Amino acid sequence: MNKGAGSGPTAAAAAAAAQKQKTLMQRVETDIASIVDNFSQLVNVARVNDPPVRNSQESFMMEMRASRMVQAADSLLKLVSELKQTAIFSGFASLNDHVEQRTNEFNQQAEKTDRMLARIGEEAAASLKELEAHYYSSGHRTTQNSQQ
Amino acid sequence: MTRPKALPNEVLSDLSVSAATKLQCYRHLGIYFKQSAKSLEQQIAKEARFYGALIRLQQNWKVKRQRVAAPASGNEGFTIDLFDNSLYDSAPVSRPSSLSTIRIDHDSAGMLAINLPPNSCRSFRFGFLGVQSGDSSKQCSKVKNSCSPRPSKEAKESVNDDECVREKHSLLREVHQAIFYEQVFDIVNREAFKQSLGVNVTGIRENYLQLGIGLGISIFLSLIPSNQGDLSVDSWVNQNVESGILPLDSHDGVKLAEEKDDILRKSGGYPNPLTYEIYLQQVFHEYLYGRAKNKPISTGTRVSGPPTKDGSGLLGHFCLSLAHRIFSNKVHVELENAVCGVPYLHLVSHPTWHSRTSSWTVFLKVPQSILHAESNSRTAETAKSHFRTNVVVNDDCIHVEGEGTPNVVGLFKGRSEDMSSMNKYDCDLADLPVIILQQVASQVIRWLHEEALMVGIKANRDFLSLSFELDQGETVSLVAHVDPEDMRGCISWWLVMEDGFAAERKLSIDISDDASDYKKFLGHLSLDVLYSTLMDLVSLCGGGSH
Repeated sequence: MNKGAGSGPTAAAAAAAAQKQKTLMQRVETDIASIVDNFSQLVNVARVNDPPVRNSQESFMMEMRASRMVQAADSLLKLVSELKQTAIFSGFASLNDHVEQRTNEFNQQAEKTDRMLARIGEEAAASLKELEAHYYSSGHRTTQNSQQ
Repeated sequence: MTRPKALPNEVLSDLSVSAATKLQCYRHLGIYFKQSAKSLEQQIAKEARFYGALIRLQQNWKVKRQRVAAPASGNEGFTIDLFDNSLYDSAPVSRPSSLSTIRIDHDSAGMLAINLPPNSCRSFRFGFLGVQSGDSSKQCSKVKNSCSPRPSKEAKESVNDDECVREKHSLLREVHQAIFYEQVFDIVNREAFKQSLGVNVTGIRENYLQLGIGLGISIFLSLIPSNQGDLSVDSWVNQNVESGILPLDSHDGVKLAEEKDDILRKSGGYPNPLTYEIYLQQVFHEYLYGRAKNKPISTGTRVSGPPTKDGSGLLGHFCLSLAHRIFSNKVHVELENAVCGVPYLHLVSHPTWHSRTSSWTVFLKVPQSILHAESNSRTAETAKSHFRTNVVVNDDCIHVEGEGTPNVVGLFKGRSEDMSSMNKYDCDLADLPVIILQQVASQVIRWLHEEALMVGIKANRDFLSLSFELDQGETVSLVAHVDPEDMRGCISWWLVMEDGFAAERKLSIDISDDASDYKKFLGHLSLDVLYSTLMDLVSLCGGGSH
């Protein structure tokens, strides 16, 4: 998706996005409700009862509630991962802006490098000309010729 | 029968047991929650590191998500796509490289990891066949081994996530570069077998191509695996040469090439292969990415774009450029030798910024002492202070353009004075020194002729001689002799005297006889001495013969 493709997401994409958002919100609510509910039950079962047989039952229930809490927390963690993935693969506007910015930077750097190379070439040509003139006018060359 | 009523101490005992049991359960739950919290925190931190790195990589690379049916724990199925689809669509590249898709994994620390198979990255090498290149081994050491799989220990050794992400950027950059090298090699292979000017395939094997580019020069292009980066290129090349290159022509061609290039190798006339390796990559880079993005191929002052007029193609253009560079080095050597043999000559190089054109000017400068002496007698505008001879090499054609030489057609018509101001002609390398020296000698003759005319003495000018008429029909001539092999000086001068009956004896004059009555060897004279000699001859002409 880029800026030039159209005025915005299509109606179907918008509906799908809304449905997905609703689903995610439901999952969040479900998980948080599960955590709260199970924690409440854990707190409620803290009461010490008279019949000892209920202790085993309550012990098992406490383990189950704790597992459910951890499971809900893990589910929330996975939801956060999904949200991060959605952000990575949906944030095209900012990504495109960043890519354009980097492209412009690299183009400017390329132009700057080209100008620098052209300048280096010109300076090298000027230096070569000067060095040749100095060499052929120098006493060193005159001495070499006289030695021949 | 009912259960007897418990005593208060029994009730309290039961309650205490229940409370202790429940307390123990809650303690176990607390430990469980702590362990779970620690585990979840670690997982959150791992995912934060992973996705943070992934987001940073996404700023520069194309990250794709793989749709897996049953994603395993910790495996989100991400890949990085390094292939440019626009290249594939416009068909300069036949197929995507195997390295185009890079899988993203987790390392033991939960950080983003990129593992490549060994020998997957290859670097591009270019060189001259049979020429030891000192830079090649340095280049090989530059080939990094980061494309080989890293042990997981390295992930732990990274100081922080920033460095880890930078390493991944570098690794992806190297893979991207390896893909580009493969594309270049692929295109070179395809173009080599097309009809292309200046390119003959003389050897081929996997990831190795040997080309003859004319002038008896052979080059090789190869893809070297990264794990062989510690070996010198030459040993790897020799390994390929010995172990089964399939030459398309006989080995004699390669031998002949080596024999012909002995002198040039010894004189260092081969350019640095690294420069042409870069040039080859630059040419194909502009072709691949400039064409894909509909950008005009750069024809700036430094780079000449691939020519289309002669149909040589990219590889042909590159090989012609390389052949031209080697040939122009030879031309430069010849010009320098010629100029070094004549003290009053200067050689000026003219950078053309064109890969297949080179240009020099041989300057003949009149000494300042003579110019100052002349400035009293006439205006400065009439005094010519220098003569030029331009040498331009296009590909392997030498074009010489000189001023002050007599028109050859005029010579045949007996009127050597009728000349064009600039003579233009082509020559080959073997004749270049002689032609340049003859050009220079004729320019000196012209200068002397003008000087003689300035003082009012009539003189006859031939190609390499200047004649003065004396009384009684005698003629005294100043004759130039050129010899590029003469170590004492390439241009020497003779004084030749002729009477009216010496024309038939002219052909029998032995040039090596210095003691002839009709000619005298003056030596390798400077312009000052020549000018003085001219003045003496002028005075001789004016005062009569002796």
